[in-house]
Amino acid sequence: MRLALVGFGTVGQGVAEAVAMKKDFVFDRFGTDLKIVAAFDSMTYAMDPKGLKPLELVSKKQSGKGLGKTRPKSVAEMLRELDYDVLVEMTPTNIENAEPGYTNIRTALECGHDVVTSNKGPLALKYRTLDDLSKKNGVELRFEATVGGATPIINLSRELLMAEKVESMKGILNGTCNFILSRMGEEGLPFEYVLKEAQEMGYAETDPSYDIDGIDSASKLAILANAIMGLDVTYHDVRRTGIRRITQEAVELATKEKKVIRLIGEVNGGGVEVSPRMVPMGHPLSISGTLNVLHMHTDLAGAITVTGRGAGRKETASAIMSDLVSLLKRNTCLSNGKVK
Amino acid sequence: MRVNVDLRLKDVPGQLIKALEPISINEGNIVGVVHNHDLVTGGRISVNVTFEHKDQRSLEAIFSAWKERGVEVVKMGEIVRTYPAEYLMVGNLAHSTLRAITEGIEKMEGVETIDLQYSLSTSTANKSVLLLVSLRNKEKIKDIDDYLMTRSKRNDFLLVRGMGV
Repeated sequence: MRLALVGFGTVGQGVAEAVAMKKDFVFDRFGTDLKIVAAFDSMTYAMDPKGLKPLELVSKKQSGKGLGKTRPKSVAEMLRELDYDVLVEMTPTNIENAEPGYTNIRTALECGHDVVTSNKGPLALKYRTLDDLSKKNGVELRFEATVGGATPIINLSRELLMAEKVESMKGILNGTCNFILSRMGEEGLPFEYVLKEAQEMGYAETDPSYDIDGIDSASKLAILANAIMGLDVTYHDVRRTGIRRITQEAVELATKEKKVIRLIGEVNGGGVEVSPRMVPMGHPLSISGTLNVLHMHTDLAGAITVTGRGAGRKETASAIMSDLVSLLKRNTCLSNGKVK
Repeated sequence: MRVNVDLRLKDVPGQLIKALEPISINEGNIVGVVHNHDLVTGGRISVNVTFEHKDQRSLEAIFSAWKERGVEVVKMGEIVRTYPAEYLMVGNLAHSTLRAITEGIEKMEGVETIDLQYSLSTSTANKSVLLLVSLRNKEKIKDIDDYLMTRSKRNDFLLVRGMGV
């Protein structure tokens, strides 16, 4: 299966490493290779129809020289001329207009290619358009890596729980906020101090607003509401309150009542909302640290809770690999005539 | 409202159905039944029933049906079941704002108790207040949620809700 990797930052490099690491597994299991035929970063690219060496790409990128040649035109224009099977879109999330990810994904789907992505912007803003386009062209758009990192939330719900009707969902979808709130509760530290700590540890960006104002959680919640509960919402439909105003005193008052404060995303009959909530200690959503968790209620199975590591190079690469392996599995079934 | 009654029934088959039927017929909800076979007084056995009734009229209808059916009511007590709703408010919470909020909630239907707990901060500009409300009807929690969300926008404070019942 020939891959075009677009975006070669932390996630892209993690995926290249995972492709190298799982080479034997893929060949033993599916009798084929995951061949990277093109890789693009923001300025440069490398291409080889016979396959690029994944670890060499990572070394080149880390040396600061880029991936190869300077890109003469946009990635989307180059994708139109490229011979490949799956676009792996890993450019950074842009919640303003979803670009350049949206155009890249759209181009691949229009040209009849499957897409695997970790980019939240296109799905949080244009989910229905992209979903319709993939169906119209008979290709797959897979996006496990957009929500929950290594936690298998989307594929679990859409595949293993296919017969279930998910009636409501509540979850912690941002590890940075959870780290900040749990440190405040457990160590009695003020918000500004823990935020600085999170920045030093690499959990929070220099501009932390994307995390602490609930933008990241709201994007993920919009994706889940569409993908799992069949709603038609965008990021802008999510009622959003961040954790910026949570004080140490507020956390202490909650603790006296045996509650913790967590940034919770919720989808139910009342709408789609991200806001800080008081969660009873011991509740499945009272987890600490950078973990993510999703608690669903379904019509047959009742309550189901999934938890795991929500972000990071390896974790996101793991989610992308699970989507790529699903495509390999589908291709095997197709070639065996099991799926029509 | 939830009610607990001690009934005396004739010690013959079919009497328990006779006693429970009027509750469901009159839109009541049976919560629990304890059948005291050992406690026989004057040829009657004791049954303790807990049920919820819709309103005073439905309760009276249940009692008159029991009278017609020869079911004796020996003792009755009301059990008030309440549902908790918890809120944290953080921000510019002057005493007058808090008083207006609690007065607004007091006026709402089904509110049993209101408890306010303050942080030690002397700064009104960034005060933390825990508001605990108990309600007789869990459906009314949404009314308080909506009321406080409107107030939090108007008075510019952060509202942290509980997880609901």
